Amino acid sequence: MKPAAFEYFAPRTVEQAVDLLAQHGDQAKVLAGGQSLVPLMNMRLARPAVIVDINRVDGLEYIVAAPAVLRIGALTRQRAAERSRLVAERCPLLRDALRLVGHVQIRNRGTVAGSIAHADPAAELTAVLTALDGEVVARGPGGTRVIAASDLFVTYLTTSLDPREIITEVRFPALPPGTGWSWMEIARRHGDFALAGVGVVLALGGGVITEARIALTGVGPTPVRATSAERLLTGRAPSEGLWADAAEAVRAAVDPDGDIHASAEYRRHVAGVLVQRALCEALTRVREAA
Amino acid sequence: MKLDGTNTLAAPIETVWTTLNDPEALRRCTPGLQELKEVGPDTYQATLTIGIAAVKGTYSGTLRITDKQPPRHYRIALEGSGGAGFMKGEGSVDLEPQGNGTLLRWSGDVQVGGLIAGVGQRMLGGVGKMLIGQFFKCLEQRLGSGT
Repeated sequence: MKPAAFEYFAPRTVEQAVDLLAQHGDQAKVLAGGQSLVPLMNMRLARPAVIVDINRVDGLEYIVAAPAVLRIGALTRQRAAERSRLVAERCPLLRDALRLVGHVQIRNRGTVAGSIAHADPAAELTAVLTALDGEVVARGPGGTRVIAASDLFVTYLTTSLDPREIITEVRFPALPPGTGWSWMEIARRHGDFALAGVGVVLALGGGVITEARIALTGVGPTPVRATSAERLLTGRAPSEGLWADAAEAVRAAVDPDGDIHASAEYRRHVAGVLVQRALCEALTRVREAA
Repeated sequence: MKLDGTNTLAAPIETVWTTLNDPEALRRCTPGLQELKEVGPDTYQATLTIGIAAVKGTYSGTLRITDKQPPRHYRIALEGSGGAGFMKGEGSVDLEPQGNGTLLRWSGDVQVGGLIAGVGQRMLGGVGKMLIGQFFKCLEQRLGSGT
């Protein structure tokens, strides 16, 4: 199929892009990698009147390691981030999750920021941003602002970004040395949207858990931070029994929808299973790092 | 696709019943409603533009209210179609007094077909429930300020 007719602009600077968005408001959509937007347009499920193509904007493609934070420019392709040495060293959770985003052809064009702005309820990168308490930098007609992950995701395909705002940078906190991590998801076929996915970060000190982060995707309209499970883990010594308790806490914290791909009961059950396995893998990595 | 929910409304059961049957309240509270025309007793023709984020479509169809048992119960039958798909559903609304207010229970069985049903299957139930939730939230606000 072909998209409905639209006006097309290819600004060369962020300012020009923001001006165009200010002019056209919610009639406009930003085009970066296009891996979510273009299929929707081709099927005419979305019919934006105006497309603001930012692929020719200079200075948005970068991965910079600041102290404790990885700064990723809005046009950085998912594949570039996946293969980046900086990402592998500073934020291997992000690298592992990136490997499971769609297929490599999608990752060659799709951008890290675009996936986050699109906010698919089964996306990997939104859950990683949530797990790490990351943030995005957004530029709009009112200027620049920073939005924390916990304030960003509103519901299915909806963020708190104003239609006239564009993400310029995504910031992922780096994993401190000695931290363990794990990303696991389940899908019917490789490359399918996750039926459930979990990202875990674990740190130990004095034989007990000093930090636990758990975020899930595919189990609700937005990524879920399993804070009750995290609290249950903190200060306790790791064990199989503890992982099982955390899995139950996660099951109690999620309210997934069922559909033809998987029932709500299945997603809830599998979310717990993935949490258990991910905590186990994260612990192995803590021990390897020591 | 089966959907259901409950809402507590801060108004007595008769007021809630009247509001639910008032086309003006339906016009104000139905998300994306472009047009609502009464074409017969308890039968309406409606045009809606609904969706989520960039995924929106315009649908037109018919809504019929049946089995009215004021002030506690009625059934709805609706069917509509648009560029991205079609739907056919029926549901029921049940009211019962709860304290000074009313407990509203709704449930429905909807069949959705066409492009939106195929491509959007993952989110259809959740978004549907959200839109229906918006409708009842709007009613809640109307009734809350009314008392």
